[in-house]
Amino acid sequence: MLNKTGVPTLEDIQTVSPSEERLKKGPVAIIECFQEIPCNPCTEACKQGAIRPMEDINNLPKLDLDKCNGCGVCLSRCPGLAIFIVDASYSDTEAIVRIPYEYYPVPQVGEKVVGLNRAGDELGTFEVSKVQSGGQKNKTYTIWLIVPQSLAMEVRGLRLRSTEIQPKETIVCRCEDITLGEIQALIKEGYSTIDEIKRAARAGMGPCQGRTCRMLIAQELAKFYSIPVGEVLMPTFRPTVKPVKLGTYAGGE
Amino acid sequence: MQKSANVVIIGGGITGCAVAYEMAVRGVKDIVVIEKQYLSSGATGRCGAGVRQQWGTETNAILARDSVKRFEGMNEELEYDRDIEFKQGGYLMVSYTEKEWDQYKKNVAVQHNLGIPTKMITPLEAQAIVPHLNLNGLIGATFCQSDGHANPFHVVDAYYKAARRLGVKFETYTSVTGITLEKGKVTAVQTSKGDIATSTVINACGYAAGTICKMVGFELPLYPQRHQALVTEPVEPCQGPMVISLHHRLYCQQTPHGSFIMGVGDPNEPKDFNINSSWEFLEDVSRQATTVLPLLKNLRVVRQWSGLYDMSPDANPILDEVPGAQGMWVAAGFSGHGFMVGPQTAVLLTQKILGQQCFMPIERFGLARFLGGELDLESAVV
Ligand SMILES: Cc1cc2nc3c(=O)[nH]c(=O)nc-3n(C[C@H](O)[C@H](O)[C@H](O)COP(=O)(O)OP(=O)(O)OC[C@H]3O[C@@H](n4cnc5c(N)ncnc54)[C@H](O)[C@@H]3O)c2cc1C
Ligand code: SF4
Ligand code: SF4
Repeated sequence: MLNKTGVPTLEDIQTVSPSEERLKKGPVAIIECFQEIPCNPCTEACKQGAIRPMEDINNLPKLDLDKCNGCGVCLSRCPGLAIFIVDASYSDTEAIVRIPYEYYPVPQVGEKVVGLNRAGDELGTFEVSKVQSGGQKNKTYTIWLIVPQSLAMEVRGLRLRSTEIQPKETIVCRCEDITLGEIQALIKEGYSTIDEIKRAARAGMGPCQGRTCRMLIAQELAKFYSIPVGEVLMPTFRPTVKPVKLGTYAGGE
Repeated sequence: MQKSANVVIIGGGITGCAVAYEMAVRGVKDIVVIEKQYLSSGATGRCGAGVRQQWGTETNAILARDSVKRFEGMNEELEYDRDIEFKQGGYLMVSYTEKEWDQYKKNVAVQHNLGIPTKMITPLEAQAIVPHLNLNGLIGATFCQSDGHANPFHVVDAYYKAARRLGVKFETYTSVTGITLEKGKVTAVQTSKGDIATSTVINACGYAAGTICKMVGFELPLYPQRHQALVTEPVEPCQGPMVISLHHRLYCQQTPHGSFIMGVGDPNEPKDFNINSSWEFLEDVSRQATTVLPLLKNLRVVRQWSGLYDMSPDANPILDEVPGAQGMWVAAGFSGHGFMVGPQTAVLLTQKILGQQCFMPIERFGLARFLGGELDLESAVV
């Protein structure tokens, strides 16, 4: 599931969810890192020794919930934007979720933004209570959101309300300059899979080979047919991974 | 899905979609096309989509010549809302060996007989047409300006939309799993979504046409063979014609979009259904292409893929009723040039099935030719 859609499963989430009791105690890191990749900045970031050093750099990070004080240093160092801080001690009814954010414009304190779950679905409008910059060389901002207690383990992303999508101006396929509006029109016309849309419009045929548009088109199809994104038929992934010159293959260079 | 149909066409490539249109436009009602995946998911969507009249056998040359006329007016004829992107930049067939050149001379004689205006030209004249052509060892070339290439997805889309407007039904993501016969006559087509009762079936399954024929116990003399291709990044227009070098087993064109599409035939390719892409192909095609067209060495490859040729023993199509299965027709064996002859093979088969006057003798594409006697082998296949 994660490999296909980028959305972790419930079982994945459970492995990193602290107990109710721990959550109530105060801020704590939720490390939603589920793919064994060669990466370890989080272990270096934590000065409390809460993220144990990895024996193998491909290992998943292991958090010591008792040592973690929710300072959030790891959050802004994780290149995968996989770490969140949840503070369920904020009030009886509300919690704070801290979310890494790397887009412009950066939201303002007091602004209402749309909270999203791990699949990108909207969960409601929530207030920003604090905005932290990552420091001089770190462009990852930490956005503090006030959310209902019940959504503390759900809200994991945000979208500004001022950036409503304009289908005619939103480019879905950057290589071939195809807009969301054009994709939506093709879907309405009856082109029912990514493969068909690719052949009708060239979306995904450019040098990036669909890396950008493939999932965006899948989302549109899922919305149109009211099916989970995971059920949208994926096109064949074709070589080459990277554009290389003919002369290089021919052995001339 | 519907329970019965007048005509069931199996295969949603150019052949199946064009036959559907030709039948519907002649007034046949209640036609359904069954396609295992999406339209043009077979060889049609994977092909170089070159359209040339420069053939060595009269049969191929006539079908291609008349199909060119159809491609020229296709946007209008099929009232297509997009563009089939038919570019008539010509085909330049270059020759680097004496033996090949002698064969080209014979082929051009066949073409001239049929009114195809191919010219035999010198290396320098060839260079004037394609400035980046390698003249080293080049003996001569043949050139026909009205040859060219089209966008296969849009050609199929155009036929599909025109056929749909005429009432043809298309069932995609549906596989044919069997054919029901009664007393040697077709009575139904079995599919993954149920049976369709019918007395007329057209097997337009390309590489899989043999598999469908086996369902009625007939061994079609046809084998699948992988052919690979690649496409580069788009650049400014710099190559008008499709360049073919049979000696290098290469074809190479620049699409209206600016990208180059090319492929080579591999003489050692086994006869099977494999459609994986190989590293060996990348090396092979790059060597051949940069030998014939050295300038291309700076172009970056974006994607490679492969598809299956449906090879017949003489590299000519098979258009016939299947022995032992009355009402079942086969249109396959296109041997790497089924796209360019698609429009007219569809007309010919439709005329035959409807009992109309055929524009050329369809017997020349019959199965009887494989029973004995000498075959008229096509020499100009990449
Ligand atoms: C790399 C390559 C380059 C080529 N270059 C050229 C060229 O430049 N010019 C040219 O004219 N030709 C070219 N060809 C050949 C050309 O692509 C084919 O001859 C032509 O597309 C055949 O069309 P078709 O409709 O008969 O078959 P296909 O397009 O193969 O269609 C057959 C369809 O049948 C479907 N099918 C199969 N089994 C079943 C089943 N059991 N149930 C339902 N559906 C089924 C398949 O999914 C497929 O869509 C090339 C081929 C390849 C592979
Ligand atoms: S939040 Fe602070 S204490 Fe907790 S793991 Fe991250 S860096 Fe360590
Ligand atoms: S830094 Fe982030 S992505 Fe890397 S191992 Fe730690 S949690 Fe996972």
